[in-house]
Amino acid sequence: MSVSKSALVRALHYTSVATRPRNTCLPRSLSYRQLHATSRLDVVKPFLLADIGEGITECQLIQWFVQPGARVEQFDKLCEVQSDKASVEITSPFDGVIKKLHYEPDDMAITGKPLVDIDIQSEISDEDAEKLGGTNGKQGPADESVAGYAVQAGGGSEEIAAEPETAARGTPEQAQQHRPRHSREDKGSLATPAVRHLIKELDVSITDVQGTGRDGRVLKEDVHRHVSQQTQEPVSREPTGAAVREDRKAPLTPVQMQMFKTMTRSLNIPHFLYTCAADMGAITTLRKKLNAAATSPEQKLTHLPFILKAVSLALQHHPLVNSSLDTRDPKKPALTYRGTHNFGIAIDAPSGLLVPVVHNVQDLSIAEIAVQLRQLSDKARNNKLAPSDFSGATFTISNIGSVGGGVVAPVITEPQVAILGVGRSKLVPAFDENEELVKKEELVLSWSADHRIVDGAECGRCAERVRALLEEPGRMMVEMR
Amino acid sequence: MIVWNRACRSARLSTRPPNPRRCLSQRTLDRLAEPVQSYISTSRDPYLNLSIEHFLLQKSAPHSAILLLYVNRPSIIIGRNQNPWLEVNLALLNPSGHGQPETEPPGLGAVDLVRRRSGGGTVFHDEGNVNWTVICPSKDFTRDKHAEMIVRALRSCSVDRARVNERHDIVLDQGERGADIDSRETHRTPYMMAEADGIRPLKVSGSAYKLTRQRALHHGTCLLSSPNLNIIPDYLHSPAKPYMTARGVESVSSPVGNILLDNETFIVAVQKHFTKLYGTTEDAIKVGDEWREHDPVRKGEDELKAGDTHSKFI
Repeated sequence: MSVSKSALVRALHYTSVATRPRNTCLPRSLSYRQLHATSRLDVVKPFLLADIGEGITECQLIQWFVQPGARVEQFDKLCEVQSDKASVEITSPFDGVIKKLHYEPDDMAITGKPLVDIDIQSEISDEDAEKLGGTNGKQGPADESVAGYAVQAGGGSEEIAAEPETAARGTPEQAQQHRPRHSREDKGSLATPAVRHLIKELDVSITDVQGTGRDGRVLKEDVHRHVSQQTQEPVSREPTGAAVREDRKAPLTPVQMQMFKTMTRSLNIPHFLYTCAADMGAITTLRKKLNAAATSPEQKLTHLPFILKAVSLALQHHPLVNSSLDTRDPKKPALTYRGTHNFGIAIDAPSGLLVPVVHNVQDLSIAEIAVQLRQLSDKARNNKLAPSDFSGATFTISNIGSVGGGVVAPVITEPQVAILGVGRSKLVPAFDENEELVKKEELVLSWSADHRIVDGAECGRCAERVRALLEEPGRMMVEMR
Repeated sequence: MIVWNRACRSARLSTRPPNPRRCLSQRTLDRLAEPVQSYISTSRDPYLNLSIEHFLLQKSAPHSAILLLYVNRPSIIIGRNQNPWLEVNLALLNPSGHGQPETEPPGLGAVDLVRRRSGGGTVFHDEGNVNWTVICPSKDFTRDKHAEMIVRALRSCSVDRARVNERHDIVLDQGERGADIDSRETHRTPYMMAEADGIRPLKVSGSAYKLTRQRALHHGTCLLSSPNLNIIPDYLHSPAKPYMTARGVESVSSPVGNILLDNETFIVAVQKHFTKLYGTTEDAIKVGDEWREHDPVRKGEDELKAGDTHSKFI
């Protein structure tokens, strides 16, 4: 039944292209959208900057002729770009509405990368489909998977931050897990001409690709995923003793890109490092006792919730370390003392470094902090973090000790003014008050602070207060509300 | 363009005389549809010439090929996206404007500064320099095509040191004559020297392009007999350059030289070779000040004079 319905849909689709005159009673966008065979996510597409020739990889954007929201017709001018000697006008191949401009005037636009996002409201030929994100068959598989995510991100939300891209990345992986409802029946009828052209270009057999669209339809994303899966296998089987070692250029993933941008901004911050070593013996003894009495594995505590609470208690006495610095106007830096303690926790997720936030640590108990940490790391592992999980951090804690390390020099993220790096605790020989040799469990805490706002003494006092709280957990109890 | 035709026709049929300020002659407008057109400008005004060039780009029939030749009075033409502070010695442009007597060289008087609509670097125009423009359909366009045409024209005037270089400019090789090369080969001459060996070739023509969806415009200069070679470096060297970083395309500077040909000979040769490349046409159509009366041309000229299509300086 579904097969004949899709065939009927296709027949109507082609009829409408061939014979429907422009001024029929159905509004154009409505008729084309209903009969259009690709899924709804693909309606807003990034239009890539085409190759201008002469081996030119980037050119300067001189001016825009459209703004977001503008309606364009085929062949309307979009913008003017300039590369060395040539000034080129770029026109729109489609009718549609401009959704987003990817560059400001004077920016360098990269060929092959999205130039504008267009909400397409006309039929697109296969040739035109190649100008859109996610369908450029000439790029390598790595580029295709990035471009495919660009399509998802472009259709999904308007935000530019990496967070929605991280969330969107989850979707193709989840789609992978869905079984196609109609797996191999009559594959020939279950792909649009644009997709079939892509399949031909990439030299893939359509029967090998699992369709995740409606009625098991094969979508462009399915084809890209199939290709990237195929290339992953041969790579893993490569013998380590291969004679030829080649360089491989790879574009930055969305997470890498976000890290690149953030850390580049952090270059402006003059960091200084203050380290101290805390004796974790008391905390460890306390943890062992509590964990022995725990009724389920989820209730077991690590040392991290204790450290978070100790830092929060210390920040009550040193609010400068929890402040935010706004340097948008270099002549008038604006300092804000933040009322809440929102700690960003650096997590090593499968996709890279993510820093979700535990909000209002000052109001949470150590047990509640532990629960939050567990939830965040589960979400990070499953790519389920939402944008709200990343916002509002006033201070960051990086537990690199889960990997290893002693002294580290962590990098502060704007607009925060300090960051704490926690190393790995280890047993070291030390002297007790009777000058006798004893075993000590030492944990190195490395504080980086912005020397434009925080001076060494203030940071040192805060650090020593945290150390004192950790070495005698009873003090934490006395200060807690 | 059709709209203009109709306006002219109806104006002529009515009892009132047609408003001369509104349009060019019908014959001129009809010619814009011909497949091969050749124009030569009688004006020395850089604003008008560039505006006529732009008008031809916008209004000519999509499949036509056009040649336009013009000579400007002393002026400096900077590229679409260049920063004049970096490219030009602005203080020299209007010496009388600063209240200083014109005793200092170069003594050229006021020199116009014009921003053209194509990309590329900064050039100095004067009466010893002939500018050529070819407009053709963009699908037939390559960057070397018309540079090669100019080289063939030069070689037909016995300038056999001329060739097209890697940057699509035209240069004169300075070496001694070596082995003979097929004269149809436009990218090499018998006088070529290896870069390391010695004298760099002298640049005699630079190119710039403007590409729209259907049309490609390629224009270039040609230094034939400029009397100002020794002062060009003064104009094109900005004292502020070492102290500034700015956006915009930078010029690539090269040593320049005269071909030592007179303007008429060059113009005739270029017209002949253009005809060979694209097909026969009538004699070159003269264009000049009367085109200023056509609205789009006048508006374009005003835009160029207003200091530009996106103000970057002063």
